[in-house]
Order: sequence, then C-alpha cells, then structure tokens
Amino acid sequence: MMLVVAGLTATGLYLAQRNAAATLERDLQRNFQSDLTALHSVEELRYAALTERCRALVAKPRLHAALEDNALDLLYPSAKDELRDIMQDETNPQPEEISGVPHARFYRFLDRTGALLPPPNPAEVGPLRADEEAQLVLKPLPQTAQIGYLLRGGGTAKETIDEIIALPITSTENSEVIAALVIGFKPLEVEQKRGADEMKSGVWLNDWLHMPALLESARGAVDKEMTRLLAEPNKAERSSRIDIEGAPHLLFFKRLNPDSAFPAVYEVCVYPLKMAIARQQRLRWQILGAGAALLLVGFAASHLIAKRLSAPVAKLAIDSEENRVRRKRVEAKLASTHEELQRSTRFSADASHQLKTPVTVLRAGIEELLRRENLEPAIYDELSALHHQTYRLTGVIDDLLLLSRMDAGHLRIEFSPVDLSQLIEEWLDDLNALPDPLGLDIKTHVPPSLHISGERRYTSLILQNLLENARKYNRSGGRIHVSARLENDWIYLTVGNTGRPIPAEMQPHIFERFSRGANGEKIAGHGLGLNLARELVRLHGGELTLVSSNEDWTEFEARFNQAGERP
Amino acid sequence: MRGLVFYFCLLSTFSRYALAQATVEGRVDLPRTKSAPVMAKRYEIVTTGGVLGTNPPLAVVYLDGSFPKPTSPPTKQVAQKDLAFLPALLPVQVGTKVEFPNLEKDTYHNIFSYSPAKRFDLGRYRPDEKPVPSQVFDVAGLVTLRCDIHEHMRGLLLVLATPHFVTTDESGHFRLTGLPAGHYTLKAWVDSRTTREQPVDLKSGSTLHVDFPANP
Repeated sequence: MMLVVAGLTATGLYLAQRNAAATLERDLQRNFQSDLTALHSVEELRYAALTERCRALVAKPRLHAALEDNALDLLYPSAKDELRDIMQDETNPQPEEISGVPHARFYRFLDRTGALLPPPNPAEVGPLRADEEAQLVLKPLPQTAQIGYLLRGGGTAKETIDEIIALPITSTENSEVIAALVIGFKPLEVEQKRGADEMKSGVWLNDWLHMPALLESARGAVDKEMTRLLAEPNKAERSSRIDIEGAPHLLFFKRLNPDSAFPAVYEVCVYPLKMAIARQQRLRWQILGAGAALLLVGFAASHLIAKRLSAPVAKLAIDSEENRVRRKRVEAKLASTHEELQRSTRFSADASHQLKTPVTVLRAGIEELLRRENLEPAIYDELSALHHQTYRLTGVIDDLLLLSRMDAGHLRIEFSPVDLSQLIEEWLDDLNALPDPLGLDIKTHVPPSLHISGERRYTSLILQNLLENARKYNRSGGRIHVSARLENDWIYLTVGNTGRPIPAEMQPHIFERFSRGANGEKIAGHGLGLNLARELVRLHGGELTLVSSNEDWTEFEARFNQAGERP
Repeated sequence: MRGLVFYFCLLSTFSRYALAQATVEGRVDLPRTKSAPVMAKRYEIVTTGGVLGTNPPLAVVYLDGSFPKPTSPPTKQVAQKDLAFLPALLPVQVGTKVEFPNLEKDTYHNIFSYSPAKRFDLGRYRPDEKPVPSQVFDVAGLVTLRCDIHEHMRGLLLVLATPHFVTTDESGHFRLTGLPAGHYTLKAWVDSRTTREQPVDLKSGSTLHVDFPANP
C-alpha cells in the first residue's frame, strides 16, 4: 500500500517538475520574444518616420527635373539643397529627436537601371568606400522602399552597421520608376552591458557577426552555429541552444529586412541560460523537497490516525480479555461454590443417612425392651422417655435431610389442592393426645373451604413447625390463635401465641439455621424449625414472615397460593 | 526732288517686300489625342516614354535656315494661371526675352528649367511682384519649364533659330506668310522626339502647299 502511494507521489512529482521546467522555458521564450518585439516596434516606428521624411524628399521637383530633363549633372547639387536638413552636419548639430528622424550619414542616387550615379563631390554626400558603394546597387530598381544594412569598418573598433533605405523616385508624368535615392542612417544601438549574464543582441550580415557586447572568446561558437543554421532552408527565424565555453546559451535569430531587395540581414540574440538553468534546478529541488516533506507528513499523519482509530479497538480487546478473565474467575468461584454446596449437601445427606440407621436400631431396641412384660414402672418411664428422644432424634435427622435436599435443589413439590382446615384439625387431634402442661387455650378460625396449592406432607410440616413453636414458646395459661383468610388471591395463615417475645436484636436472625437465641437453651428443639418452615413455604411459592413479637404476643404469618392457581 | 527720292525708295522697298512674299500652307498629320485635356480648351504638356508633347497635340512648323538675328529682341510671355503655363507650348526665336508673369490670385509661383538649352531659376514670386521675371533665350533647343512649388506644371519653350514659325491648330493646319524666296527646309516639330521635314523651294508671290504626313 505504501509502495503504491510512494510510486504515485514520485510520478506526480516527476510530472510536476517536468511541467515546471516546460513552463520556465516557455516563459523564457515569451520574455525573450516580448523584449524583441518591443525593440522591433521601436525600430519600426523609426523606420516609418524615416520613410515618410524621405518620401517627401524624393517628390521634390528639382530632383525630377534633373532626372527627366537630361540634367543629371544637376542631380546631386539639387539634392544637396533638398537633403540639407537631414544630413549629419558638424556645423549644424541638431539633436536627433527634433524631427524624430536620425541624421543621415550618406546618400546616393541610382539611375534607371539601378546602377550607382557617382556623386561629383563625395565629401558632401557622405564618403563611402568603393566596396561599400557597390553594396548599394539594386538591379533592377525596386518599385517600393527597401531596407538594407551596410557593414562599415568591420573588425575594427569603429565597426558600425548603417541602415540603408532605398526609395524609388517615380515620375509624376507617367508613374515609372526613373531613379532611386539610397540614404544611410545610423541604426538604433541599444546600450548593452558587456558581460556573461545578459542578453546580447547583434546583427549578422554578409557572414559577419556584429555584436559588440559579445566576448571575443564566444564569437567562434556563435559564428559556427549561425553558419550552420543559415545553411538550412526556411531560415527566416530560428532558435537553438549552443554551448559557449561550456555554459549553455539560447541563440535566436530573426530576419531584419524580410522581402527586401537588399541581401538578408539577421538580428541575432544570445541569451545565457545559466541563471534560467540554475532557477530550474532550484525549482526541481524545491519540488522534490516539498514532495518528500509532504510524503513524510502524510505518513506521520496516517500513522497517527491509524493509531487513534485502533486505540479503542485495542482497548476493546483488552477489556474483553479482562472480562473473560473475570468471568472465568467468577465461573470458577461459582463452580467451587457449587461444588462446596454439592459437597455439603452430600455431606448432609450422607450424615443424615448414617445417623438414621443407628437411631432406627436404637428405637427398635428400646421398643423391644418396652414390650417386656415385667418391667419396673421407673424403668418403663425411663425407657419411654428414651423412646421419645429417639423420635426427636429422627425428627432432627429428617429435618436435616429435608433441608439438605432443599439446598441441593432436589426437592420438587407436586402441587395439588390441600385442605387447610383439615390439616389444622389433624394437628389439633395430635395435640390433644399429648400432655398439656401449660394449659393453653387454642382457638382456630379457619374457613372450611380454603384450599392451598401445595404438597400435603410438606404443607403439614410447615403447619406442624409453626404450631409446635406456638406451643413450645408459650407461657402458662397462654393462648394460641390460628386463623386463615383469603386476600388478593393469597391465603394468609396466621399463627399467634402468647409468651415471651423474641428480643429485637434476635428478630432478624430467627429464620437462620441453628439460631435459638437466649431462649433456646431451655426449650426443646433443634433450631431448624423456622428455617425449614420458611424454605418450605418458599417452595410453595409463598413467604413466611414474623409479623410482630412484642410484650406478650408473637405472631407469624405464612402466605400460600390458593389452589387452582399455579405458583 | 526729295519727294521723288522718297517715292522711289518706297517703291523699291515695296517691290522688295513684294519680292520677299512667299506663303506656305499645309497640314501636319498630328497623332491622335490620347486623352482629353484636364480642362476644356487647355493644352498641357504630357510625357510618354520621355517624349514631351502637347495634349491635344500641336505642332510647330518653321522654316529652317540661317537668318539674321533681329535687331531688337522681341518679347514674349508665358503666363502662369490656374496652375498651368499659358501657352503650354511657345515657339520663340533665339534671342527672345520671355516674361513669366504670375497671373494667379494669390499663389506663389516659381519658374526654373534644367534643360540643356537654358538652365535658369527665377526664384519664387508673388502675382503682383514687379519687375516680372524674365529670361533671354539665346540657345536654340527645347526648354522644359517647371515650377518647383507645383510639381505637375510643365511648359515647353521651343527656341528656334528662325523668325519664321507658326503653331498649327488642333487639326494640324498651318499657314506661314512673309517667307523669303529660296531653297529651304520646312520642318514640323511634332514632339520632342519627332521633327518632320520637307525641302521647299519658295517662289515669291506664290503659295506652296506642304503636308507633313505621319511616318508610314
């Protein structure tokens, strides 16, 4: 993924750099062209002013008279008068800008065939060497004004290039070109700094390069390149790269006098590319640097973002790991608790079972003894008491067994309607069979049609427990009150008794196993009764609560489901 | 007696005069008019291939020979009016003084010529300037008159060695009178390149008919 990104970035950078380089080159060309165009427009204005001025000159009647009326000897003398104000004159120095036209350095006339008409007094008309004069000839005579250039003093310190304009003289009588006036001007010279870093412009004519600002050492390279370029056809305007002393330059030339009858002359410009190339390099480095920085920033940013995005995920993973560990621990604890419970219940069950067997044996033995006929009454009473105790022992063991089974969750009640009043009657019957040392008054108030949903033997156990407690913890001459009522689809069984109340600090703990409080030591029992009763009531789908125990009255209330309703 | 001498002189003069009377008349075949003149009834000088002539064409017929110079040089005039020379073509005898009055309303004029027969330049002058510029022409030949202000103005002055000359009319007819008897050459100047000639034998008191047909 990163490779792809890096590759894309690299491609983008390369394209950008290439684009920038191309733009730079284009800008260079454009600057160059605009410079040239500015220069050319100035020159063109100048040329227009010149031709306008000279056109007036060639229309002068005297020149025409000299040419037409067979008076060529008067041609130059007449011209001297007419052209006086544009000829460069030391005795008449005028700044060039007065007429906008520069001073002429020389002029000559060409006759009908285009041959030069020699002036009678060359000094007056600007002296020229014979070879220079020969370059002015234009055969045949042109019909329109022509621009040309004359190299003078080539190779010397006074090397100049004069601009020549050839103007045809047309007869007003028959519109034939009968002669031409050729005037030479000093061309526009742009101040050029000599040096290696500036654009230099010059002129190329007759295979000679006139470029004063060009260093001598560079001349050879430029000459060679110009010759090579000019040898090709279509050579009006060209640019190419050359190396001058190892430094790259841009060489550009353009024809100065297109469509002219005079020989072709070119403007040559040499532009050093060192700075441009240096700029290009700098640009390239800048782009690369920027790209690298961008990449780095991108990477860093993406890394940071990824980290931030993944942090919650990591956290989630950690948390879930913690949860799992915790759950495992809890599960282990649960398992261990479960095991403990199982063990304890097993223990209870085993213990109960182990206990019951000897008790049975004990009882059987005692009963055997009781069946003997010749027992003394004291021994018989003792034996009866012992027999009774075995029942008590069995009772505890049974309770324990029952409790352990309930703890293990092995006790299941099969629900069916149980007649409450009948259960109470049975208990009352049993109670009457027993001695009543306290002389209790038992009152019942149980409607005959109340049926609770439960299992008969367990329901009777609950009742027995409650009623036994009411009897045991009573006082002498006390009272027991049993009532039941139907309220909101619940059957409430209330068992109340007189006697010492349960102390307030004991009340929350009475349902716990083996808690008998301060009272317990004197009263027979084994401390499981209430716990067992409550567990059984809960199995029935109800609840056993202590309503109140204060002063002389203790009341318990058990809530049962009415028969016909599933708990 | 003085009266008789006077009468006799008169008679001899008269007879001499009567003896010198020869007339030539005829017609010069003029070239067709190339184009209508700029203004009606105006003659202008035109150049065709360097050949100067008038338009409409005119010719000057003159008797060629050697004649004595006039004792008092005659004076002729070539006026400048409406930016043209009037007349456009004027034959004069050698030694004639020609005046060039400026008959414009208020325009300067100039008169100059570069012709080999007479090169002169009388400068620029206003219409009311006095004296009127003039020039004596003492060499025979064709003189092209120009004005250096008005480029297109052209005039022709045909300076002849003979006093006997006449300009033809538009159709080319001419009539020369007062010619001396004898054997001469009659010439017709048609344009600056063409001068036709015919030998004539003049008899006093007779009229000769000479035509100058165009070259076949």
